[in-house]
Amino acid sequence: MTEFLDTFLDDYFAECDEHLTAVRRTLLALESSVGQPRPDPAVTEELFRAFHSLKGIAGMVEHREIELLAHEMETYLRAVREGDVRLTTAGVDTLIDAARLLEHAIAARRNRQPPVDVESLVAALRQIAPAGDSAPGAVAVAPLGDAGSWQCLFTPAAELIARGVNVDMVRARLRAVGEIVTAAPVVGEGGGIAFRFVFRGEPGEADVEAWRADGMVCSRVERETVPAPVAAVAADRGAATLSSGHYVRVDLARLDDLMRMIGDLVIRRARLGDTIARVEKHVPPAEWRAIQENTSALERQLRELRDGVMRVRLVPVGEIFRRVPFVVRDLARETGKRVAVDISGQTTEIYKFLVERMLDPVLHVVRNAVSHGLETVEERVAAGKAPEGTITLAASAAGEIVTIQIADDGRGLDVDRVIARARVAGLPVPAHVDEAALLELISSPGFSTRDASDRVSGRGFGMAVVRTTVQDLGGSMRLASAPGQGTRFTFELPLTLAITDALLARVGTQTFAVPQAAVREVIELDAASIQALEGGEIIQYRAAPAPVVRLSGVLGIPVPAAQGRLHAFVVGAGAGAVVLVVDRIVGQREIVVRSTSDPLIRVDGIAGATDLGDGRAVLILDAVALARHARGGWGAAPRARETA
Amino acid sequence: MSDQRSDQYILFTVAGTTYAVPSSQIAHVDLVEEITRVPNAAPFVDGVVFSRGQIIPAINMRARFGFERAPIDLRTRFLVVNTGGRSVGLLVDACREFLRIDPSAIHPPTDVLGGGGESYVAGIATTSSRMIVILDLDQLLASNDPILAA
Amino acid sequence: MNQILIVDDSPTIRRMVKASLAALSGPCEFVEAASGLEAIERLAIGPVELMVLDLNMPDMHGLEVLGFVRSHSKYRQVPVIILTTRGDEASRVAALEAGATAYMTKPFAPGSLATKARELLEAAAP
Repeated sequence: MTEFLDTFLDDYFAECDEHLTAVRRTLLALESSVGQPRPDPAVTEELFRAFHSLKGIAGMVEHREIELLAHEMETYLRAVREGDVRLTTAGVDTLIDAARLLEHAIAARRNRQPPVDVESLVAALRQIAPAGDSAPGAVAVAPLGDAGSWQCLFTPAAELIARGVNVDMVRARLRAVGEIVTAAPVVGEGGGIAFRFVFRGEPGEADVEAWRADGMVCSRVERETVPAPVAAVAADRGAATLSSGHYVRVDLARLDDLMRMIGDLVIRRARLGDTIARVEKHVPPAEWRAIQENTSALERQLRELRDGVMRVRLVPVGEIFRRVPFVVRDLARETGKRVAVDISGQTTEIYKFLVERMLDPVLHVVRNAVSHGLETVEERVAAGKAPEGTITLAASAAGEIVTIQIADDGRGLDVDRVIARARVAGLPVPAHVDEAALLELISSPGFSTRDASDRVSGRGFGMAVVRTTVQDLGGSMRLASAPGQGTRFTFELPLTLAITDALLARVGTQTFAVPQAAVREVIELDAASIQALEGGEIIQYRAAPAPVVRLSGVLGIPVPAAQGRLHAFVVGAGAGAVVLVVDRIVGQREIVVRSTSDPLIRVDGIAGATDLGDGRAVLILDAVALARHARGGWGAAPRARETA
Repeated sequence: MSDQRSDQYILFTVAGTTYAVPSSQIAHVDLVEEITRVPNAAPFVDGVVFSRGQIIPAINMRARFGFERAPIDLRTRFLVVNTGGRSVGLLVDACREFLRIDPSAIHPPTDVLGGGGESYVAGIATTSSRMIVILDLDQLLASNDPILAA
Repeated sequence: MNQILIVDDSPTIRRMVKASLAALSGPCEFVEAASGLEAIERLAIGPVELMVLDLNMPDMHGLEVLGFVRSHSKYRQVPVIILTTRGDEASRVAALEAGATAYMTKPFAPGSLATKARELLEAAAP
């Protein structure tokens, strides 16, 4: 066998050289594709083929190292081609190293030297190729070019081939004037074989004429009959759609990563700001100005980036609405009512995380509407209404606000019943109960009861949770109701990310954040200047007495008795100013606000939480609530709210 | 009653008793991270944890069931559960087992457990070697009153 | 005169196949094609008594070529030996179901290829 193989070694080395030249050339082209969702398919295809062929012939001459190495390179390139793995600089570098090693290995064989060790590079390639299941990657839709589409029918014949005009040569000719879309054999009447090429380009008229003599018949083609090289993006997005050539499909998990990275960037930039502030005294003023300009520009650009990425995560609100008809149908069947669902504005776009958070609240309100809002068929007929009730869902967007409305044409809220139930639950009922007050009552924890009809509505998710969800998202809720006519809930949700400027303050061993917007001023005061008054403390602030609240007491954090200079921040304005005493003001920075809406941690005085980049949660103080406490909002220290 | 159709459960121990929760309600299990104290929260709430971009309340399950808190060791786990739209973390002594429990092996809770009318126990499962208390998470998280040890 | 069509995009492999079959008894003429389209073109020009066909080719996959060949009444009977790097059972079955007469993997032993080729040529001879 070896004798047999030896006679082919020259051919083998010659072919290897050819493939290696192609590899070198295409690897350089590949480098410019790094970081793109998918590199140029023509380039990856050529590289892939080169590795594949090298593997094949190396296998034939039993050149194991080449076979092994080429196999790994082929595997990696296949993953890149399919989009399973994104091409990185490291990936290209590894390929280049591997190509160099291939050359060495071939040269070693040629010069009858000991075989080259390829293990480490094989391992390196295996590391960058995906292991098991690959994550779905991005798919780029090729833009349709402006060049014309042509068809060329080539009928081979013996005398043509004798002249050197064969299908391969025809192919080369067409490639020279354009891009071949498809090439396939076709059978004509009489059983003769021809080849049909479809290509995009602009062949010169003279060429087209001359080619006829070579058995090539070229003609222009209408755009519609040109087979699309890649699948078109389904265009059922409603309003804001662009032509299919402008879309890219992206895996949402990657967008989530992007969002998280942006949040982290915000935190990191804030830390950088802190660090830079600390070195101010070491920097000459001229340099300092430059630093300031750059950091504010950075901050602005980061905000823009943040907003831009947020916009990418827009999805049609119809994703929420989609579930409603099914829920309604099941519930209608259970309750024996007849219900129709009317949906509009489902193409209105909102952020994906809003969709995720609002799904349950919307479904809850819809269930309530069917269970309690809508009357039975008999009741409706008796009231002169259509036997079928209607649930209406509508979404619209105006500027930075998205509005979602859920309405029913049922009996409306029974105000007396709500008031009675509220009294039983011990909730404060104002003298005049308007729609806002009604909403407040039904959304209060403790209002919802568990009777049989509620079981149908779904347990564990009262209007209280609906309200806190909406509030956490920075939105608001409104109620409109008319007896005998129906009820309508209106949700307004902002399309902005909750990033805010905050002061950081230490109380005992714990750090808290206070939204800058609530802080009027940061001050230092003398412990001795605080005076006791009627069970509380006051101090002179801007020529008027202002209450003093020691946060350590309010937050239940033990601190040694404060003496000497104290640090505080002032909230409220004018006569409403309140001085909140902390141990130290630690700094100021941008924070990403995260919600603390769970009843277990919903305590008065805490407005949310954030992290400062070290993985630890930091609570955000509700300065206004704390100030209210000082002015007699609560008698004693704030307690955790009771849950439903 | 919590959803019994799925019969895959995750098991954890608190003060010597083995509990189970349907694995469909588990988001993930972590090693204990920094817990930030929340002032004036319920006594069995240790605070909040910042985990995977979310703020999650941390319930100390020993405290919840009326036991003394124990120091955190290598086996202590933070079990993040999802139910009723909430994500909550349970701090437990240990958690490392999945188990399929056949509905026929689950007995309804008896009055012997006491502790109040609405029970946080969905059922008791008996296997050849032990007794497992299957929890109703919604009930467990609904009330803020500490549950007294039986 | 037996016309044997060798289809493979690697010139080295084509030469090796040719050399392996050189020992076949009876006059043989070897024709080479480096791609699927070229192979079909050669079929269109003149008769072919045996085809050795690679699968992984740049323009048309070998099974596509095979499919085209088998669907054409004129070439349906041509014996085709698939010669490819894929050795798994699934690929073999797929190739045989697509109409391959024989399936061999690379690297191949020249003797085996020659034996199989002889078999198929003798079976086809009237």
